[in-house]
Amino acid sequence: MPGPDFETVVADYHEPLYRFAISLTRSEADACDLVQQTFYMWATKGHQLRDAAKVKSWLFTTQYRAFLESRRTVTRFPHSELIETDPELPVILPEAARQLDAMQAVEALAQIDAVYRAPVALFYLEDYSYQEIADVLAVPIGTVKSRLARGLAQLKHIFAGSNPSRSQPRGKHE
Amino acid sequence: MNNQEAKTILALFRPGSPDEADPSFHEARQMAKTDPELARWFDAHCEAYLLLRRQFQSIPIPPGLKEQILSERKIHRPLFQRYWRPLLAVAAVVVFLVSIDFVFSPFHGVKDRYAAYSKRMVESALKGYNMDVTTTDPLQIRDYLKEHHAPAAYSLPAGLKTAPLVGCAVSSWQGNPVSMICFKSGRPLPPAAQSDVWLFVTSRQTLARASPPASPSVDRVSKAITASWSDGQNDYLLAVVGNEALLRKYLQ
Repeated sequence: MPGPDFETVVADYHEPLYRFAISLTRSEADACDLVQQTFYMWATKGHQLRDAAKVKSWLFTTQYRAFLESRRTVTRFPHSELIETDPELPVILPEAARQLDAMQAVEALAQIDAVYRAPVALFYLEDYSYQEIADVLAVPIGTVKSRLARGLAQLKHIFAGSNPSRSQPRGKHE
Repeated sequence: MNNQEAKTILALFRPGSPDEADPSFHEARQMAKTDPELARWFDAHCEAYLLLRRQFQSIPIPPGLKEQILSERKIHRPLFQRYWRPLLAVAAVVVFLVSIDFVFSPFHGVKDRYAAYSKRMVESALKGYNMDVTTTDPLQIRDYLKEHHAPAAYSLPAGLKTAPLVGCAVSSWQGNPVSMICFKSGRPLPPAAQSDVWLFVTSRQTLARASPPASPSVDRVSKAITASWSDGQNDYLLAVVGNEALLRKYLQ
């Protein structure tokens, strides 16, 4: 069965991919480049994908890998488990959320550590299951959850107007 | 599970997402139904999540991004991928024209096929060969050819019936047997040559549409002059090292 044509894939996914990209890069120009690179890879390698239902997942995975490759930070992202996270739970209050517009939300996301940014972006942007997020990020589910918990905790502090300590995560390194 | 453990789990819960069916959240959500303080906390979490989700999903897309991606695609696509439809159409037209030529110009290909046959046979004779049978007895030649499934029921033109026989060999063309009957003209032969007049006979089915006409057609092939004709059952190719006058002497 032939897969979707290029224009259909672009029409369906360029917007969510851009939102994910700008959450990662914090720059409109870099985000556009990243999205274009992702579709270029789709144009050259997408035909290898047998399951048309996995187009979206393929695009997000490819885009995230391209982002890591561009930053060459993949080896600096340690895996850590949820049990090692800050005992202070991330509770973002609705009042804080109401005061933001879209770009302020992106700015807030840009202030959290890069290692936590992708899981937090996917947490808000997409309806992926945790297993799918783990697949996109190529890390175990436990690592996704621990990064997410820390990222949300940082976001909460940013919304509260205080920048938390953004040193190396204290989690168990693999 | 205590209240704090439930919050740890529910902090990652996303209302309206696959988490609704995720069993890892089930127990904590049940607990939120019976614990008023946890329920308030959970409601606030869900409301904040939905507000932030709405904000993130309304991030504006740069105008022209889609068009830019599509235009980049046109630049990067290989030539065949970009123009596969017109290229396919051109290929179809070429195939069609070749088919037309094949159907409506049969003699073009036929001429080539007969030329190839006559050239192969004549050159094999001129280059030297070993006769399977060396004899002047026409019956022995026919017996040998028949025994080797080569055409033996051939008709010789009057001029050839009186030509001195040397022998015969069985050759082949595209898997079909060809009888090669060797004669001498009586003129001096080159060193090592055994004959200078050859008659090649093959079944009409061998050459099919490329069969020569009933009346002898004279041609020059390599250093020989040839006459080709068909009697309806066999196709004949007579090759002579010499001139056309000598050739016509055997055709009378």
